[in-house]
Amino acid sequence: MKKPNYLAEIIDQKLWIKSGHETWSYDLLDIAAEGTRRKARGSSSPSKIVSLMPGKITKVFVKEGDQVNQGQALIVMEAMKMEYTLKSDLTTTVEKVLVSTDQQVVLGQLLVQLKESE
Amino acid sequence: MCLEKTNETLYLLGMNNSSKVKEIRTIAIANRGEVAVRIIKACEELGIDTVLLHSEADVSSRAFRMATKTICIGPAPTNQSYLNIQANIQGAVAAGADAVHPGFGFLSENADFALACKDAGLIFIGPSPESIRLLGDKISCKALAQKAGIPLVPGYQGDDQSVERLIKEVELIGLPVIIKAAAGGGGRGMKLIRDLSEARQLIESAKRESLSAFGSEKVFLEKYLDRAKHIEFQIFGDCAGQVQHLFDRECSVQRRHQKIIEEATSPSLTDDLRRQMGSAAVSIAQMAQYQGAGTVEFLLQDGKFYLLEVNTRLQVEHPVTEEVMGVDLVKMQILTAMGKFAFSSEDIRIPRGHSIECRLYAEDPYQGGVPSTGKLGTIAWPEGPRRRFEYGFESGDIITSHYDPMIAKVIVWDESRPRAIDKMIRVLQDSVVFGVHTNIPYLVKILSHPDFVTGVMTTRFIETHFSEGIKSSHNEEDRIQFSRQVYKQTFSQKNQTSEVASPWLSHWRNI
Repeated sequence: MKKPNYLAEIIDQKLWIKSGHETWSYDLLDIAAEGTRRKARGSSSPSKIVSLMPGKITKVFVKEGDQVNQGQALIVMEAMKMEYTLKSDLTTTVEKVLVSTDQQVVLGQLLVQLKESE
Repeated sequence: MCLEKTNETLYLLGMNNSSKVKEIRTIAIANRGEVAVRIIKACEELGIDTVLLHSEADVSSRAFRMATKTICIGPAPTNQSYLNIQANIQGAVAAGADAVHPGFGFLSENADFALACKDAGLIFIGPSPESIRLLGDKISCKALAQKAGIPLVPGYQGDDQSVERLIKEVELIGLPVIIKAAAGGGGRGMKLIRDLSEARQLIESAKRESLSAFGSEKVFLEKYLDRAKHIEFQIFGDCAGQVQHLFDRECSVQRRHQKIIEEATSPSLTDDLRRQMGSAAVSIAQMAQYQGAGTVEFLLQDGKFYLLEVNTRLQVEHPVTEEVMGVDLVKMQILTAMGKFAFSSEDIRIPRGHSIECRLYAEDPYQGGVPSTGKLGTIAWPEGPRRRFEYGFESGDIITSHYDPMIAKVIVWDESRPRAIDKMIRVLQDSVVFGVHTNIPYLVKILSHPDFVTGVMTTRFIETHFSEGIKSSHNEEDRIQFSRQVYKQTFSQKNQTSEVASPWLSHWRNI
């Protein structure tokens, strides 16, 4: 008899699979609903600065209406005791700042809205 | 290899009567995670009871389940629990502990904590508060090194900590310059300035990180050596006042100044360099009258070495030294604190074979290493000869964003470095961690890289070869189809009630 070739488990509404040397997971919703897979990660639009992890905002460098350059630091957040700086991918103006210093944020939360570049 | 001495043999060695054997029945552990487990295991083997001083967030952890007693010392934020000196002291005293083991990180290099232990009648398992202050503060440590004639990296260690002065010093030293927390370690509060225009932002950021991690915003500046290797020596001071080194480790594989892979011994040292660096390490420790385990870190570039810092504690990567030297550093620490460990002149210490440690971080390697949190599912470590797994969490435990993302360490030993590398790759590939993503694919890529395999990697290895992170080569559509098939066959309605109802049951199936 051939030996089992994968290991699978459901944890908190996610299906985890290890097959060969690779491990991955999918939301159960994505797996169960055939054909209608939701987008797993947050918006990829460069005008939306979202948090990539749950954590705390430690510094906000910009305010509404500020002119920002590509590569400029907008927000510093702390998660797991490390600081992460979120920078702008665009040269544009700040449309809205939705968080303030010391605020706790969740994964995927919109932090800063930039004006879409024309 | 290290002999445990009774009081009588110590007397024969000519020790004076002032160092008496102290009884330790209960040790309080002022730490968490895998190091707390490591200390508990050593205590169990020595017949010593343990008290885990833990935060509210850590009741679901392996150390919590293993400790003889547990005392909650505060809420999850570290400054209210693991960094709170009074809470730790009160917990240890209330539990009737004789001694405190600080582990690494948190209060392990805090002289005030060592002193507070002493004042409360507790034995601090580590060097004296004076030694910690002298060596632990990187500024006074450098002054001592200068006296000992140990080469230093050019830098600024002054008391004027204004941002303006620091920027001026950055210009004087010349770019690139690294900013470090004076009280720190482990990469926190460290920033690299490559462009003067970033200096202000990075200095302010380093000060904030330092304040939140170590309670002090004092920083110093150092010229950044751009093709250096990180080599460190394990030192140990016994209860008779003798200091020896237990050879070297190389930890050049670092990301954001955080070590990822460590090995013993270094593949880069000639016998001559090893001798010189080892004796420099011992001499600075002797000058500080060092007792217990410590590490002297160096940078090595173009055949020249420079003192980096001295860590006055057990090191995360201590197991690789234990593996090649055949010692138990945590037991040595405890026995030294009891006045029962002294090096013997008959001991001959020669490293054997090669050992590698990989740090497993809860992070998504395909998303630039963002932290991954959640409830752990199946965890399975592929046990085998000379494979060692140091972990603080098991199935059902929750990995939160309150603490360091390191969830486990995998350590292997083999007769040669190439064999140890192959063994580590296989062990990592066979490890099962469900519930959080881990850096295993990232580690495997590093271990297979030609620069690592040949041993020529420098501290810029990650930055040079892995700055973009890693990409998965799988086909997303195939994978999702496979996953749907697995789901249907394994977790379909007929199985739902019997198997899925038990969340920790793992399902092995053929498809």
